[in-house]
Amino acid sequence: MPVKHSVAHLLQNRTVHRAVLENGIVILTVENPAADIVAGRIFVQAGGRYESPEQAGLSHLMASVITKGTDRLSSQEIAERVESVGASLGADAASDYCLMSLKTVSADFAEMLELMAEIMRSPSFPTAEVELERRLTLQGIRSMQEQPFSIANSQLRQMMYQNHPYALPSLGTEETASQLTQADLQRYHATYFRPENLVFSIVGRIASEEAIGLVDRFFGDWQPLQLNAPVPPPHLPTLMPYPDRVVTVQETQQAIVMLGYLAVAVNSPDHMALKLLNTYLGNGLSSRLFVELREKRGLAYEVSAFYPTRADVSHFVAYMGTAPENAAIALEGLRHEVDRLRTTPLTDDELQSTKNKLLGQYALGKQTNAQIAQIFGWYETLGLGIDFDERFQQQVADVTVEIAQEVADRYFIEPYVSLVGSEKAAELAAKAAI
Amino acid sequence: MIALLKADFSPFDDFPAHEYRLANGLTLIYQQLPASPAVVVDVWVRAGAIAEPDAWSGMAHFLEHMIFKGTDRLPPGKFDQIIENRGGLTNAATSYDYAHYYINTAASDLPETLPCLADLLVNAAIPDEEFGLEREVVLEEIRQSQDDPDGLGFQALMESVYRQHPYGRPILGDPETLMARSPEEMRCFHRAHYQPENMTVVVVGDVGWESVREEVEKSFSFGSPAVCPRPTIWAEPPMTEIRRQELALPRLEQARLLMAWVAPGVEDMRTAYGLDLLSVLLAGGRTSRLVRELREARQLVQDVGSGFSLQRDSSLFTITAWLEPQHLGQVEAIIGDRLAELAAVAVSETELNRYKRLLCNDYAFSTETAGQVAGLYGYYSTIAQARLSVRYPGVIQSFQPEELRQLACQYLSPLRYAATVLLPSLH
Repeated sequence: MPVKHSVAHLLQNRTVHRAVLENGIVILTVENPAADIVAGRIFVQAGGRYESPEQAGLSHLMASVITKGTDRLSSQEIAERVESVGASLGADAASDYCLMSLKTVSADFAEMLELMAEIMRSPSFPTAEVELERRLTLQGIRSMQEQPFSIANSQLRQMMYQNHPYALPSLGTEETASQLTQADLQRYHATYFRPENLVFSIVGRIASEEAIGLVDRFFGDWQPLQLNAPVPPPHLPTLMPYPDRVVTVQETQQAIVMLGYLAVAVNSPDHMALKLLNTYLGNGLSSRLFVELREKRGLAYEVSAFYPTRADVSHFVAYMGTAPENAAIALEGLRHEVDRLRTTPLTDDELQSTKNKLLGQYALGKQTNAQIAQIFGWYETLGLGIDFDERFQQQVADVTVEIAQEVADRYFIEPYVSLVGSEKAAELAAKAAI
Repeated sequence: MIALLKADFSPFDDFPAHEYRLANGLTLIYQQLPASPAVVVDVWVRAGAIAEPDAWSGMAHFLEHMIFKGTDRLPPGKFDQIIENRGGLTNAATSYDYAHYYINTAASDLPETLPCLADLLVNAAIPDEEFGLEREVVLEEIRQSQDDPDGLGFQALMESVYRQHPYGRPILGDPETLMARSPEEMRCFHRAHYQPENMTVVVVGDVGWESVREEVEKSFSFGSPAVCPRPTIWAEPPMTEIRRQELALPRLEQARLLMAWVAPGVEDMRTAYGLDLLSVLLAGGRTSRLVRELREARQLVQDVGSGFSLQRDSSLFTITAWLEPQHLGQVEAIIGDRLAELAAVAVSETELNRYKRLLCNDYAFSTETAGQVAGLYGYYSTIAQARLSVRYPGVIQSFQPEELRQLACQYLSPLRYAATVLLPSLH
């Protein structure tokens, strides 16, 4: 059996097995007998980050069509196999990877993994399915315009990321998605769907040797097509901060206001301090924004912050939805709270509570087999390694109030501002003192 | 409710949790889940929107917000800090049949966190000075809901289906009725409904039974109930035709077709589950009848989905399509034809077995975490009985094609239903 090596790691009271096949496939497994469920997540080193601006939406379209035909099976035949055993099998495209996912009761796992092998190794991307999914994608792009939050978020990202692939929504734009063809999907598949570019993460009621054996059986003889052609690295322009404002006027009931700052990639030494600042500011009912702007001032129902974990430069966003007449006060309030992180150090108690909150929620995010499979596969794919699960704890512990303030001061200089709302909201916001 | 349940549920020998009635009438349900990283305490109260008289519409949901404003012992915000500073989570939700409140906390923190949750629920102070401020938050929540076309469509559909029953009213209420209410009235609503016989405490996680029972008995002690206005709940007369309505919405990029049929509530669980099965058979995956025909083969819709929502007094069967306006008539007609077909020709064993398996696996997939298990028991305890929840897979497996054909014939008429259409407004 062509397993090159296999090592067991004890992480947070869980044994994670890591094996590498001769062809380069990495397999991570965690045995969890608690429920009769096996979850599999297969990460492909691809996704939005690898798209050229002219082909934005390619990963998404590939994910929509890949389960819709193979050399031997039609879309309906694939769906029948999956649904007749009550399994779920799907494909997704994210900013930093493409993901094939699978969930079954234990007895059906082998059969579904075999089907997954056929889908991943010999998809046919039938022309009719490409056309159908492309049309539905274009409709999906238009439908995003119905949601004020989507518009605000999308225009903010476009402004911050300019010609970087993180600028565009995963569906692409009407211009780019309408140009994508079957040949583009075939080329994408040939480029990225190759054994040395895959991480399998399998968690549930299945022994590690068995899970590794099954991957070997169905994927072990998959030879890279072009032995000497490495996977092309993504084209990522350097981002120069150029804070600006963007406004979309729509007669909505609420105005959505957002402040954005370019941040860092997950491997930056500043990453964990930003995670903590995000938790302090925007996570939960006791977070600073929630208490100051909602509980004390009644300005919003939804007020929060987010800072996604990214392989390349991420972004830090504070936002809220508010009545049009409060648009300026809302912007000023958000700005005040972000600025405060630069000028006023957190107290020791505040920092400790924030650490507890981040670690507690991290633990609660690893409950289902699918969640566990996701987190280990993702760390491996991002190049952090599965022991990032433990380094995470240490990195959190290492952040001091001084470090938190320094990091806030380094990144929260001048915000990008995004607003969606009525004429009145836009007029008021234009005069906001921020 | 119990007396109304059909007798085809055999004796309850397979309920994996412990159900216990405290001396004061409070129901406690407990299940140990050894591998769970946290303990979930989920408290369910039979005080959703259906407990409101018309003029108090929105009260149950607004109260859910005000519960978090503390008690004489816990000032506003203190509870959130106690839970979250220890790495726990808390939140709440309100629907037609219930309001529920949960914490997710380490087992070792339970002696500190559980009494605080109990204090909030039993002794909510509903301070005057917080009432007006929090109402602003609820008004923002209403504004946000008005920018969501799918939510607006669903509310319009509910109003069309339930003309008498409170299920037809918006859970959030409306600004006018909210402005007319006082903190005193809310305290009255709270003291009338947050009483032990209306509440179920569910505890699931890696924690022992003795300590749970002791904590709950110690923490939940109630004062005497207040008297507050009750709603008059009229039986909803059956639909006798197609109730059609059209809404023109700004900024709409595609049309919606929402269709609804009413079904029995918890008094006939078997029928409800049979309709649940029909709902996935119609639009529960790429091979289901409507998805295959409307999305994949004829390409008339962006998407089509179905839903079955089990409710206490009357359940709801829905089909929703997202599509271009010019296909509305054709799609509605095809859906009608497919329902007529279900009522005329029994489904094949193969097709039926596929959807039985799908629902049974979905059930297994949605009872993986402590929070999911607690939510399931709490919901069933509030509308019927907790132990019935685990019977679901067995009942689903027992259906035969002929029984489903009869259910389709009786409940899914192509001539009697509510249809709400959303169209982009001109300009």
